[in-house]
Amino acid sequence: MIIVGGGLSGLAAAYTLAQEGLEVLVLERGDYSGAKNVTGGRLYVNPVRELFPDLWKKAPFERFIAHEQVVMMAKERSVTIDYSGSELAVEPYQSYSILRAKFDRWLAKQAERKGAMLVTKNRVDDVIMENGRVIGVWAGGEELRSDVVIACDGVLSFTAEKAGLRKPGRANDYAVGYKEIIELPLEVIEARFNLEGNEGAARLFMGEVTQGMFGGGFLYTNKESISLGVVVGIHDLMQGEVAAPELIDLFKQRPEIRRLIKDGNTAEYSGHAIPEGGLKAMGKLFGDGILVAGDAAGMAMNIGITVRGMEYALASGYIAAQAYLKARERQDYSAASLSVYQKLLDESFIMKDFNSFKDAPQVLENPRFFNYYPEMVGDMMKEIYEVPNGPKKKIFPTVKSRLKFGELMAMAGDLRKVMKI
Amino acid sequence: MNIVVAMKQIPDLQQIRIRNRQPVFEDVPLTLGPIDKNALEAAVAIKEQLEAQVTVLSAGDENVEDTVKEALAAGADQCYLVLDDALKNAESSVTAEVLAAALKQMEDKPDLILFGEGSGDNYSGQVGSRVAAILDLPQVGYASAIEVGEGKAVVTRSLENCEEVVEVTLPAVVTVIAGINEPRIPSVSQILKAGRKPKEIVEPDELNLDLENAKTDTLSNLAPETQRKRVVVKSVDELIQALTSEALIGR
Amino acid sequence: MSEVLGLKEKLGRNVFKHSEHRHINIKEGREKDPQLKKAVLVCPAGLYSVNDNGEVELTIDGCLECGTCRLACGPELLEWNYPDGGAGVQFRFG
Repeated sequence: MIIVGGGLSGLAAAYTLAQEGLEVLVLERGDYSGAKNVTGGRLYVNPVRELFPDLWKKAPFERFIAHEQVVMMAKERSVTIDYSGSELAVEPYQSYSILRAKFDRWLAKQAERKGAMLVTKNRVDDVIMENGRVIGVWAGGEELRSDVVIACDGVLSFTAEKAGLRKPGRANDYAVGYKEIIELPLEVIEARFNLEGNEGAARLFMGEVTQGMFGGGFLYTNKESISLGVVVGIHDLMQGEVAAPELIDLFKQRPEIRRLIKDGNTAEYSGHAIPEGGLKAMGKLFGDGILVAGDAAGMAMNIGITVRGMEYALASGYIAAQAYLKARERQDYSAASLSVYQKLLDESFIMKDFNSFKDAPQVLENPRFFNYYPEMVGDMMKEIYEVPNGPKKKIFPTVKSRLKFGELMAMAGDLRKVMKI
Repeated sequence: MNIVVAMKQIPDLQQIRIRNRQPVFEDVPLTLGPIDKNALEAAVAIKEQLEAQVTVLSAGDENVEDTVKEALAAGADQCYLVLDDALKNAESSVTAEVLAAALKQMEDKPDLILFGEGSGDNYSGQVGSRVAAILDLPQVGYASAIEVGEGKAVVTRSLENCEEVVEVTLPAVVTVIAGINEPRIPSVSQILKAGRKPKEIVEPDELNLDLENAKTDTLSNLAPETQRKRVVVKSVDELIQALTSEALIGR
Repeated sequence: MSEVLGLKEKLGRNVFKHSEHRHINIKEGREKDPQLKKAVLVCPAGLYSVNDNGEVELTIDGCLECGTCRLACGPELLEWNYPDGGAGVQFRFG
């Protein structure tokens, strides 16, 4: 059994199969697992807690997220919604900030302890096909054979592409996320974000941060650093308003951000493409002798406030392992036999989520969310809070003046679309 | 013929960051010294010509057991490890004592003991010579080629302005330079086989060693302070003038 | 610090392992393709630029291997592969 890629989906599959006593080989091109992986920042544990019951106690999480904020960023001002319910600070915590180089390396160790073999620094160069079925891979000038290859090789998945399960990705279905790791002393992070102990904060920014383009900014607190970055639709970025590197620099200079990262030391600059095409952009997830999981399968989702991918990677790796076990019982690794993977995925939270939110990508493409609304909310707040030199205007007419008939109709239209999510 | 290659576990130097002038070693992956890998490659090349068995010898903390797989994948037949946390950052004289004791203990008496000219981290370049002295063996340094014959080896030494060819009777210690060869990159199947190769692991007690008597003590290890001159120039001419006055150009 | 850093300075904070080969190449004859110019905008590492002849050039050092240029320009314009095993960027945080 060969798994291409030692990230979350690959390691989840390897861990599960090794636990069953099977021989598993994971091929990872980085110096170590996590060396090529990037997250914005957070893992939601609830959906995958039960799949790996022994795993979580000692996992190298950064901080549990106890403060959720959404910031609507207009040009001159911003409006923040802050949610810090006590339920967020009760164990088991629902989400944690993580750093992939640490987390994946640790997960790889756990899989190795179960008996999985991990070979790092080895890139898979090609897929070996025989009569239309995948029978192994080429790596380091060597032919490596396997009953089934699980393609867990990330967003571009050359393995799935070479096996004919997907076409090269299109800009419309992907975003690019990039971020800086900014180191700050623990006490400074706690003070600036109003944190106690191992609490963490997550902030999403929409509006001016992407200059109206599809996407947003994000900030997650780690133990002794901050992950600060931008996610933006590649297609929008191609339209040429501003270059990607400039966008994050402008974001860093915003007064709301500047003071949070003051005197911090940028320790890393990383980036990664993210599948955001949802259900419609998913390729075929199984074929003769092959299964596809994680980002390689397009399993990441942006529904505005929550951006998720890593849980889908862990769960799909687990499910791919289960599908393999079922096919193994039958000693039949044909597409028909491996189609049990699709069935198991359909029954899981993964495909249920992807079906529930199948309209999200189209709905969120609406530029008004990234431009018009943040400005409007900002303006309204300004007018509500402003105490002028002289009489203040009545509040309701002020608000009403912004919400003329045509505007209300447009908003109702947007709302109707949002209600599909 | 038995060839022993002494190899040192070191942090991946490219991964070390400096924070507050101190190197950060946390989470830095471990590897083997780059010149040690040349020594291993030299041993494997000899093995491919003659009947020979290549043993990797290493002393360090328990991580060595994992790190040494790299050498087993790259062609070593087995390894002999002296493991103890106290050996993690042992200085050269201690390491030499440990390695010498291990070499004495080995069942198959070594004919050729190879070292890299210096370790990948501290590059003190002492351990090879010290081991030779303790074991009373001849030593040849700066080896850029080794040819093994009956009971002897012909070693080319690469010196600053010349090459010297010497013949040495075996057993002997030879320390090699980086230019001796290009270490091979092991294939996936070699890496997989590495885990199954024989390993002998001993603790310092079993070698009757007392690790307390270090001869040197590192007092501080700081990144150099960089002083910028903060000279502001307004034109190319001024820049040229400034650089000339610092004797950086136009000498 | 953590004021705005230049891109080179930012990329300098990362670990990059040397590779023998350039893992991304612009396909011959496509250097002036308007679609390729989009790479200049999308690359977070700013590795694409347009020279005086209107041709797009790619500096490979500093590549974050994010895949964005391949998604923007497609395999028609870019010969795209990941670097050899053990080469390229090695994230310490990720």
